[in-house]
Amino acid sequence: MATHPTQYAHPEALVETDWLEKHLKDDGIRIVESNEDVLLYDTGHIPGAVHIDWRADLQDPVIRDYITPEKFAELCSKNGITPETTCIFYGDKANWWACYALWAFRLFGHEKVKVLNGGRDKWKAEQRPVTRDVPKYPKTNYPMPKKRFDREIRAFADEALAQSEAGKPLIDVRSPGEYKGEITHMPEYPQEGVLRGGHIPKAKSMPWKTATNDDATFKPASDLAKIYFDQCGVKPDTDTVVYCRIGERSSHTWFVLTYLLGLDNVRNYDGSWTEWGNKVGAPIEKGA
Amino acid sequence: MSKGCGKLDESGAAEIRSDGTYPAKLNKIINLFESLPEDERRETLVSYADNAKKQEPREGENFNLVDVRKDEECMDTVGVYLHVDENGKAHIRMTLGPEVQTLTRAMTAVLCKGLEGCTPQEILDLPSDFVTRIVGAELVRIRSQTIYYVLTRIKSICKVYLDRQRMAQVA
Repeated sequence: MATHPTQYAHPEALVETDWLEKHLKDDGIRIVESNEDVLLYDTGHIPGAVHIDWRADLQDPVIRDYITPEKFAELCSKNGITPETTCIFYGDKANWWACYALWAFRLFGHEKVKVLNGGRDKWKAEQRPVTRDVPKYPKTNYPMPKKRFDREIRAFADEALAQSEAGKPLIDVRSPGEYKGEITHMPEYPQEGVLRGGHIPKAKSMPWKTATNDDATFKPASDLAKIYFDQCGVKPDTDTVVYCRIGERSSHTWFVLTYLLGLDNVRNYDGSWTEWGNKVGAPIEKGA
Repeated sequence: MSKGCGKLDESGAAEIRSDGTYPAKLNKIINLFESLPEDERRETLVSYADNAKKQEPREGENFNLVDVRKDEECMDTVGVYLHVDENGKAHIRMTLGPEVQTLTRAMTAVLCKGLEGCTPQEILDLPSDFVTRIVGAELVRIRSQTIYYVLTRIKSICKVYLDRQRMAQVA
């Protein structure tokens, strides 16, 4: 039986709430809040945190894609971020959108990224300080990224299909009902226009939340290894593709596999089910 | 120009506005939001959201209809309580679960205040285009699926009330 890691592969990718409260004013860090709830930041946030909205700031307003490298440079400059700035992401829903924003930053090659373990929920539950003051940082001159790392950490539909046909690890992180095809969106969320239900053939079902504790923190490395190595068949030497509905929940799983379990070859299929379930001729499996 | 809520005519049906204007209280809120720059609009929405709890039922209040449920469009349970007084005016109260999003909280306070004293028929006839004028184009663009939810729920309870009234008249 394989031995499992007892420590995260990159423990430096996480910061704890206690640490962050003591380092709010450190030079070289930028706290970034990213939420599902579009006005939540305005109701009170961690002192010094800037707000980056997953849709308004990171997605192209017209076509379904991310912003251009030029726009990313503008976004970072506006928020006083340089390539040397360590961005600490946090947000609601156990850091879903924080992980999505982090993944998008990595897409543009920003390397210094961390997640606040437990996110906004834990910070609030511990009654740590919040403010409605919006910070102003001197504008920087973030250089335009030379490329977007689409090939490295992002998968497209044809690559998800190839992953399926090759029988390589493909993880569906949606709710069991979505995976089985009983529903086309997660419980409690709006239907975003998917015509078909089910999952990509051979995808393993492992809801994203399996990786978290009740307080929104990540489970220990040994638990994560059991979930993904033993139950999902993920292997360090084989590339893995994760997907959900629009790529946000799978960003959470991408973070777990990449930073906490240390896999080098994980890609997020952000087109996810809202693309696959509408794609003419795309093969679909239903049921468990 | 704004116009107050209509009176019931002899048959009990509400006066329907024909000039496309809104109830006076709601119109005042719309005008306020439209006069604000985007930053202040968001601040004001948050202020309304902070006040959503004040729209909960108060002790001793009685209601003609209560509709408490958890819909897939919303993150948590939302309750709508309708009281129609002897003059046919509707008074709406609402309860919101802790996971309900800030924008939904804000719209709860806006609509409970703005529609206070309208008749159920006036609420039902209200065009929904004013919602975007309150929320603003940017928030509509990025979260279009959530902004109409509260209005839909309030209209829904008014429709049930009116349907029952009509059934009772037929019977």
